Amino acid sequence: MVAQRRNLWRRIAFNVFVWAIVVLIAFPLIWMILTSLKPQSELFLIPPTFLPGEITFEHYRRLLVETPFLVYLRNSAILAVGTTLVVIVIATLGAHSLVRFSYPGREHLARLVLFTYLLPSVVLIIPLYFLMISIGLSNTLTSLIIAYTTFALPYALWLLRSFMAAIPDDLEAAAMVDGATRMRAFFDVILPQAVPGIISTALFTSILAWNEYLYALVLVNSDEVRPLTTGVMNMLVTSFNIEWSMLMAASVMMSVPLIIVFVFLQRFLTRGFGAGAVKG
Amino acid sequence: MTGKPISKKRLSLDARYSILGAMLIAPTIIVFSAVIVYPLVSAIYLSVFSIYTPTMEGEWAGLDNYSRLLASGEFWRSLLNNIVWTAGTLTLQMVFGVLVALMLHQNVVFRSLARSLVLFPYFLSAVVAVLVWRWLFNDLYGVLSHMLMWAGLIDMPVDWLGSMPNAMISLIFVGAWKYFPFVVIAVLARLQSIPDELYEAATIDGAGRLARFTDITLPQLKDVLIVIVLLRTIWDFKEFDLIYLLTGGGPIISTQTLPLMVYKEAFALNQMGGASAVAVIMMLIMLIFMTFYLRKARD
Repeated sequence: MVAQRRNLWRRIAFNVFVWAIVVLIAFPLIWMILTSLKPQSELFLIPPTFLPGEITFEHYRRLLVETPFLVYLRNSAILAVGTTLVVIVIATLGAHSLVRFSYPGREHLARLVLFTYLLPSVVLIIPLYFLMISIGLSNTLTSLIIAYTTFALPYALWLLRSFMAAIPDDLEAAAMVDGATRMRAFFDVILPQAVPGIISTALFTSILAWNEYLYALVLVNSDEVRPLTTGVMNMLVTSFNIEWSMLMAASVMMSVPLIIVFVFLQRFLTRGFGAGAVKG
Repeated sequence: MTGKPISKKRLSLDARYSILGAMLIAPTIIVFSAVIVYPLVSAIYLSVFSIYTPTMEGEWAGLDNYSRLLASGEFWRSLLNNIVWTAGTLTLQMVFGVLVALMLHQNVVFRSLARSLVLFPYFLSAVVAVLVWRWLFNDLYGVLSHMLMWAGLIDMPVDWLGSMPNAMISLIFVGAWKYFPFVVIAVLARLQSIPDELYEAATIDGAGRLARFTDITLPQLKDVLIVIVLLRTIWDFKEFDLIYLLTGGGPIISTQTLPLMVYKEAFALNQMGGASAVAVIMMLIMLIFMTFYLRKARD
């Protein structure tokens, strides 16, 4: 009995300890949400209040109405969707080839993909900047989609390769015994099996594009084509007195799509964000 | 099962499949060549020219960019900052990451919610992370200083980002907060794949909690920890967004790392050639870690 009770107390203490650490880690995000809901005047209280004395959505309203936030949001959405579509089509074909076909150089190619996944954008950016100017694409969303493929394609290929390698070889073989050609077998058998992998790869890829900063900083410089990352940062830099509550509201809005995707991807989180360290 | 025609037909079928396989990978190769291989080669090419960014006109400079760089204090300072930042933030990420993974591997109430909350910073845009931290660090109204003052640890608000060594410490700390979830993800996945029988057998043999940890858990984690350290070294070394947005390399160049120096040379000082030389040297340093990682990832 005594031992059991001591065990119970130990369990409770451990739970409290773990949750205290979890809350500490999440605190900056909790603070972001709380700040975005406080009236501007409440931010300048010393010492600061924890919970808002009065909840207001004024900052969200002003963000949407008085700033170019919606334009940035549209651009970010176009970039995320555009990059993902381009990359997923190419990567699905590529991953299928790397997994099910044999030809000279295949292994080298697979390693090249992993190598490019690790490349620093900052090394590629100068030549890409020149390239975009010389082909007349500077300051367009298209230039960003092209630039984003540099990190999105290796990532999507690597992830899809692990998803598609998990589909049993027998399926394709069985379809071909039934008289299907290899491409038929790919469309009729492999592709339907790969759908969950393709969808989660697409979502992960779109998050990478949604969060990208450096290429957007260098390749575009007007509000009509700025995505959220550089656009919101620009609001911080150019404002005369910084409105933190509005910036926190912008941060919350930028993170909402991520939360939705995050919940949706629960099952694949390890695979998608552990890519490179976790075997698929 | 005899006869030449069959084997001949098979051979040609294999060859046809190889061609089909090559055609499927062809779009990837074309895109890679255009946006990765070509820029990589031209970064090396640009580094031996002296190019003024706005006009994009350049002249042959040979190895001048490199010799100028290696003779400048700024380059060595940036390299040193890069090493300090990488080593500092990597150490914190590993320690926190492994500890939190071990905790979240235990039975905790609402475990999946706890895991989600811990992983979320990794998901966030660097822009959001930096905005939130700059607000927490705010010199007048920042809640961080006030909490520490309330706890009696400090007497007056701290200048978290504007002075040294505070700026580097803050940076390392925010980097750890943003990226330690990667360690948690990878370690948790590995912990879950350690067979329970190992622990059961050890318990029967009389091994205590600590002995089970050092004799089973740690050796099982060794390989994944090496891979994580290599990957995170590569990623932290090339980090741009977080540092540029949080301190901008300042005060002066106290937290300027090589990626920031590339950006500054190219787009603030308009020296494309010099910037490319920094990028090439940075790439060479990273190649060491990449080689180790690629070798490790193969087996």
